[in-house]
Amino acid sequence: MMRVVFVDDEENILSGLKRMLRVKRREWDMAFAQSADAALEMMAVEPFHVIVSDMRMPGKDGVALLTEVMEKYPDTIRIALSGHADMEMILESVRATHQYLAKPCDAETLIATIDGARKLQDMLRNEKLKKLVSRMDRLPSLPSLYLEVMSEIREGGSLAKIGKIIAKDVAMTAKVLQLVNSAYFGLRRHIESPAQAATLLGLDVIRSLVLSTKVFSNFEQKNPALDLQALWSHSSKVGSLAKEIAIAEEASGKVRDNALMAGMLHGVGKLVLGAGLPEEYRKVAEVMKEKGLTEAEAEREVLGSNQAEVGAYLLGMWGLPNPIVEAVAYHQRPGAAGGDRFSVLTAVHAADAIVRANGAGDVPPDVDMEYLARLGLESRVAQWTTLWQELNTRKEVA
Amino acid sequence: MLRRQNLLIVGLVAAIGCAGWLTARAAGEFQPDFPATAWMTAGLLVVLLVVALAFTVGLAQTRSEAQRLITARTLQLERARKAEKENSERLAVLLEDLTTAKRLSEEDHAEKKQLLGAITSILIGLDARGAVTKWNRVAAANFGIKEADVLGQPVEECGVSWDIGELQAALEECRDSGNPVKRQLTFTEVNGDEGTVGITINAVTTDDNEVSGFLILGANITQRLRADQDRLALEMQLRQAQKLESIGRLAAGIAHEINTPTQFVGDNIRFLSDAFDDVFEVIRRHTELLEAAAENKVTPEIIEAAREAADKADIEFLSEDVPQAISQSIDGTKRIAGIVAAMKAFSHPGGNQREVVDINQAIENTVTVASNEWKYVADVKLELDDTVPMVPCHPQEFNQVVLNLVVNAAHAIGDTEVVTEGGKGTITVSSKAVDDMLEVRIADTGSGIPLDVRDKIFDPFFTTKEVGRGTGQGLAIAHAAIVEKHGGSLDFESELGEGTVFIIRIPLEVSQDAQERTAA
Repeated sequence: MMRVVFVDDEENILSGLKRMLRVKRREWDMAFAQSADAALEMMAVEPFHVIVSDMRMPGKDGVALLTEVMEKYPDTIRIALSGHADMEMILESVRATHQYLAKPCDAETLIATIDGARKLQDMLRNEKLKKLVSRMDRLPSLPSLYLEVMSEIREGGSLAKIGKIIAKDVAMTAKVLQLVNSAYFGLRRHIESPAQAATLLGLDVIRSLVLSTKVFSNFEQKNPALDLQALWSHSSKVGSLAKEIAIAEEASGKVRDNALMAGMLHGVGKLVLGAGLPEEYRKVAEVMKEKGLTEAEAEREVLGSNQAEVGAYLLGMWGLPNPIVEAVAYHQRPGAAGGDRFSVLTAVHAADAIVRANGAGDVPPDVDMEYLARLGLESRVAQWTTLWQELNTRKEVA
Repeated sequence: MLRRQNLLIVGLVAAIGCAGWLTARAAGEFQPDFPATAWMTAGLLVVLLVVALAFTVGLAQTRSEAQRLITARTLQLERARKAEKENSERLAVLLEDLTTAKRLSEEDHAEKKQLLGAITSILIGLDARGAVTKWNRVAAANFGIKEADVLGQPVEECGVSWDIGELQAALEECRDSGNPVKRQLTFTEVNGDEGTVGITINAVTTDDNEVSGFLILGANITQRLRADQDRLALEMQLRQAQKLESIGRLAAGIAHEINTPTQFVGDNIRFLSDAFDDVFEVIRRHTELLEAAAENKVTPEIIEAAREAADKADIEFLSEDVPQAISQSIDGTKRIAGIVAAMKAFSHPGGNQREVVDINQAIENTVTVASNEWKYVADVKLELDDTVPMVPCHPQEFNQVVLNLVVNAAHAIGDTEVVTEGGKGTITVSSKAVDDMLEVRIADTGSGIPLDVRDKIFDPFFTTKEVGRGTGQGLAIAHAAIVEKHGGSLDFESELGEGTVFIIRIPLEVSQDAQERTAA
């Protein structure tokens, strides 16, 4: 049974939740704590999979509680449930929370969020990785882009420009999307582009995010095996191509935007591993060479998981839109995902394979033809490869 | 001198002797008859002698006369020379004086000129008839009119586009009263924009108090007026910003106050809905059982189904929780209604007139509205004297002041150790009538106001809060609202480590002129 603890200083809230979630009583083992300290005492006895906490409480508040939980029980998924709309509190809680829910929150959203977190946990079975990812409050950014965004913000640059810089960086894109998709911002729809996100957050919020909350971090080259520049270059290529493919397949605007984002973020797991587990990361490279394995195979052998799952886990915990999480999780083996229509996953999978092969041959070796045949799209690969060549020429011309 | 006179006499005698000798010799040569000639010669000699004697005497007399004359003359000359010397000395001094005077006057003039030149004010001199006698550089620059073009012209004809009627009236006033007269006149600047010049007219008077002219000193105050306007606008904006800030905070707080009960009321209703589904199922099964019993067709299956439904619904749990869910939901909706009503009363948009207000009710509303600000750090104790009469005041301003003070109190308590260690402080709000004043005290158990800032706390922009937490306007505005709008006072007593009390005093009755003043 999944263990969930709810924390709120208002007794009526706790009894309301208890009653409302009675329907889940056979699936969830629920506990209710009226203060941060009470919750920590319960956790000390037996840890919980998920903690759902109010933010403003007398004594130790939600931020302090979730920060302590992050340190002591890193694999516990931390969800904020707050009636507070003030920016101060949101910015303070940015790094300690995986997802934010606003009061009043209906039963469906609350249940879906908690169940979704549980499903994510099932996806990543390696406890060490789970802890690593849950503790990850920020990701390394490409130094040049990090400095660029810092100076642009210090000089009071335009939001559009800042949005563009953020869009170029995997880590910053992921973090900004996490934020803007949080319920605190009161948006009823998911936001899929960092430029849109930057506009919505506004310059003040972006500034405090970057300067005081420090949600972006400059990547200190501790791990020579992690080539951030190469990852960045590959990611942005896959992003652009995935979007082109989505356009060619006449997908909806939302799918196109998601394809771009998912392509941009598909390698986010590498960032997590490269920054968090440099030893293992190096070992993966060695195993690849020694045994002639693919990267995914080597990762599975060394880590019992792969970077795709790690990345998807992180993005899922951060509450990014499902199509993006799915595309990141399955981009190496789309057949495992189910689904029989063109999707964000299809675009990212194909784009990744084509970029890897660098447009050589009609059908790049990494393309899962069986999956495409299921979708009835196997004949389209040649066309998509052409798109890549066009993109390249366009870039060269530019 | 005497010796020379003697020599002269000897010389004369010798000369006469010689003359006699020569005469006698000439006669002897000319007249061979000695006796006649001798007599003549002797006679001549006598005459000559007499003459010589007389001459000598006369000569001596003349000599002494001359001597006297000379002496007198010498004296005269001497005196004259002395006088002349004195004169010339005096002249030299005079000359010197003159030169100095000239130099000084030149310097003075230059200095005056420099002084005048250095004056950054507009300087216009008029004679008694109002004709221009002075028109300095600044005047020329500001009006775009040269001195040469206006000297001697009547001031109203010198081409400045100001209101001539007003200027003349001001000159008249100055002439009549003899006092400086100030005016602000609009004119067209050189660049065509409308400008304003502020002038002071001074009458120039003679010793017998006749007005002999005017001196107009002026300055182009267009920029300053604009800056003043900008500053006023900025102040207004800041006040507005402070108001918006507090409204924003308030809105966020109120949203929270409403969101919380909405959450649990929603949860309870959701629960009740699920519970009712189960309960209806129980009723259906039991109705079936009843019908079967009535027809004597009860089967063990029907009994089992009824029992199962009741078990599934967990009637025991429901019978305990349903009433609770209902009563908590009712409480929740009451809370929402309460805060909405308080907000409505709080933001009641009063006009410019005072209204008679139930101060205690107003305080209660404000405390409710601000509850999200204090409830995590303090308990609020209300000690409201219900014998306090209704007070004429501006409700919006009064509420804003109480709100600011309650929020400040909460902040003061929030920074204390008691709170950081998980405890709570106390905010005590009391009201009572003292003499003819209403006294509202807002006391906190914060750490007190540091001594070095006590005299600054009412200053605009003064804040000890970190950036973003306050504009430093709250207390300044509160002070203005109480003192200026209500004719009351806002004071505080503070003790380090003990807390602070803010004391609002406003008159229970408003005098007529105060009424008019605040309405104006």
